[in-house]
Amino acid sequence: MHAKKLSPLLAVVMGLALAVTLFPVFWIVMTAIKPPTDWNASPAIWIPSEPTHINFLTLFDPEAIGAYGVGGVSQSATKAVWGSVRASIIATALSVSIGLLSAIGITRYGNGSKIAPLVILSGRMFPPAAIAVPFVIIFSNVGLTDSYVGLIAIYAAATLPFSTWMLKSFVEDLPREVEEAAMIDGRSRLMAHLTVTIPLIRGGIFATTLFIFILNWSEFMFSLVLSYTNISTIPVQLARYVTATAGTLYGVQAALAVLAMVPLMLMGYLIQSHLARGMTFGAIKQ
Amino acid sequence: MQSNRVKIDSLCAEYDAGGMDRRSFLKKMGLLGVAAVVANAVSLSSLGAKAAFAQISGAEERAWELAKVAAAKASKKTLTLLIPTGSIGNMTPYVDKWKNELGITLEFIEEPDEVVHTKGMQEAVAKTGRYDVMMPTAMSYPDWIDSGVIYDLTEWTEQHQPDLFHKEWGVVFPASHHAQLYNGRVAGLLNDGDQITLLCRDDYLQHPDKQKAFADKYGYPLAVPSTWGEYYNLAEFMHDPANKFYGSLEYRSPYYVKWMFMQRLVSKGRLYFDGDMNPTFNSEEGVAALEDMLKMNQFLHPDAFSFTWSSNYNAFGRGEGFMNIVWPSGFKYSKAPSTGPATTGKIAATVMPADILKDGTKLYAGLFCWGYGYAVSRYSANPELAYAYAQWMTSPTISADAIPYLGGYSDPYRINHMLKPTQRLIDTYSPEYLQTLYDNMVNTVPDFCIPGGFEYQDALDKQVHACMTGDKKPKDALDEAAKAFDRITRRIGKDKVKKSWLALAKNLAEPIRKASGADQWS
Repeated sequence: MHAKKLSPLLAVVMGLALAVTLFPVFWIVMTAIKPPTDWNASPAIWIPSEPTHINFLTLFDPEAIGAYGVGGVSQSATKAVWGSVRASIIATALSVSIGLLSAIGITRYGNGSKIAPLVILSGRMFPPAAIAVPFVIIFSNVGLTDSYVGLIAIYAAATLPFSTWMLKSFVEDLPREVEEAAMIDGRSRLMAHLTVTIPLIRGGIFATTLFIFILNWSEFMFSLVLSYTNISTIPVQLARYVTATAGTLYGVQAALAVLAMVPLMLMGYLIQSHLARGMTFGAIKQ
Repeated sequence: MQSNRVKIDSLCAEYDAGGMDRRSFLKKMGLLGVAAVVANAVSLSSLGAKAAFAQISGAEERAWELAKVAAAKASKKTLTLLIPTGSIGNMTPYVDKWKNELGITLEFIEEPDEVVHTKGMQEAVAKTGRYDVMMPTAMSYPDWIDSGVIYDLTEWTEQHQPDLFHKEWGVVFPASHHAQLYNGRVAGLLNDGDQITLLCRDDYLQHPDKQKAFADKYGYPLAVPSTWGEYYNLAEFMHDPANKFYGSLEYRSPYYVKWMFMQRLVSKGRLYFDGDMNPTFNSEEGVAALEDMLKMNQFLHPDAFSFTWSSNYNAFGRGEGFMNIVWPSGFKYSKAPSTGPATTGKIAATVMPADILKDGTKLYAGLFCWGYGYAVSRYSANPELAYAYAQWMTSPTISADAIPYLGGYSDPYRINHMLKPTQRLIDTYSPEYLQTLYDNMVNTVPDFCIPGGFEYQDALDKQVHACMTGDKKPKDALDEAAKAFDRITRRIGKDKVKKSWLALAKNLAEPIRKASGADQWS
């Protein structure tokens, strides 16, 4: 089958859209390999004449940037990177698992009630800034501030409405008869869901997982208010790259941002076939 | 002697209160290891025994003795400091001393500077006890004290005498009051003399052709500006956009732009409120200040609307402008060859320009904006140790040693830093610039160091910025800000804010009090 050719106008529009979308990524990557003298140069330096990996080194060895006469970086990003990995993976797994159970429960056993989904969604009706401090108070009373357990709990809770609603739409689009056929074949309800429902909405689960992971990975507010010394995440660490002698360390910030993009791109690449299915799942109704 | 410090202090207090006769006092002081000559002098001092004894040893030594006692008693051997990111360089040189000699580990929690106030307010409700020392700006003290998150330090300062107001090495007046006190009580110990001064390119000022051309055009010699009118003329004269050299680099960016307005406002003899908390900036003077700023826009660096302090310093250091309004750290940037390749050795600094008032008075006023200090968390497990750290770090001697370290925000704030500087302070700044800092600081007006200070500043900033971008006319913008101010005052409580404002306005330089009418407020 021949692929359709793009019309010149559409090609130009798509090219422009791509340029606009990719420009920030290009700029961040270029800044990440610029030496400190080029970060803030005027006129702007688009492509560094002497690319350097010093910004990446500084993430894990704060002294490294001293080679360019910049001092005052006091924190390695190691803790923040591992913190983000740990909190995002576990919170995403929790959120998607609970969300999947909720979605199946609401769709298949909810008797059409709209209250439960709305109650779950109400968790997202408040801006995070409004609920951050109450969470701090509650968590400090139970010893969960400055701990990954607390951070994971709040990440999972905050993303649960999304995972539930996203997965609910995927379950709804799956004909109930498929599960019933499995049960006629002798499977229990649970086994029918495990062996039929879940595999058939796999694309949706992957898409939801990626979306929830991105939310957790880039979350700033809760991480900021709940962290003291024991925990850190990449978004919070990004805000800490300011020194008195060099101001904002744009290159080091960009290096960490590039590093932060890697898992998302990797995940997106690995599950892209499922992702495409997940995103279009339900487009054609039965 | 010093190991018995607490007992000596209580003995002195008892003597001052008339609880014993002089003979008993001398005897007991002797038993506590105090030399007879010292005990005698103390007992006869007109200051009272307690204050006189405190003056015998310096603020640093007194703090250290307190730290030793408190460290020995402390069950938790870590002192945790909440500090703004980028300020650690002034503190790290002393980490080993505290560890080795006191057994206390200093742990730093760095947060972005705009988050420190919020973190403090958060601690007020969360009460985690994770912080011992907190390092906010002076504007945080009213809200932090009122929320109960930090200690009132007054009693400790009376007991341990940090020499805050000493005439030779105290904190420069009026910053000594407006950057440390809340309603007349000590809320924090200043460790950063944030004020803005004006930098000019001296190589341009000394250029014979420019000198002649300037004198021919304006009728007076080319020099650093002493008035805002001269500042405008200089910006106009030096502005050379074709060569990417701009008249001035002052800020028009959100968050910073309010300070440019506040500075001009106080130069015109207006404060932010009258004696009854009515906003006074939406006045003839306020409008004129905004109009001056709008007029200046044509001579500003094209990045003025997006400058942060670091991009501003970098642009000036690259030689992209003739003048710049900077915090003292900006002078350090311009002086260092690495950050000021085009400006090193070519800077002439001066106090902020004066304005000519209606009665012909030439009023010099500066702006003390930001200014970090140490506060002690009420939820600290070792508050006395935390206080000792604050006093020790801000003592005349240790602070003079700490300020020159790179990698921190701390700038001179004590009289000895500026008028009797150490060689390291001279090397970091210059004798002339330190004198300029002193001359400017004595005339400073503070930020909104009153309850709700950050809210007032934000409300003003939004409107000033809207005016600079052309979204609002000067009078409309200021009226809008005034309405927001009234709302904030009503919500917080007029009496509460007024009390704090009057206490603040009481301690300003006399010419400013007179010009603003604050000398008539009761």
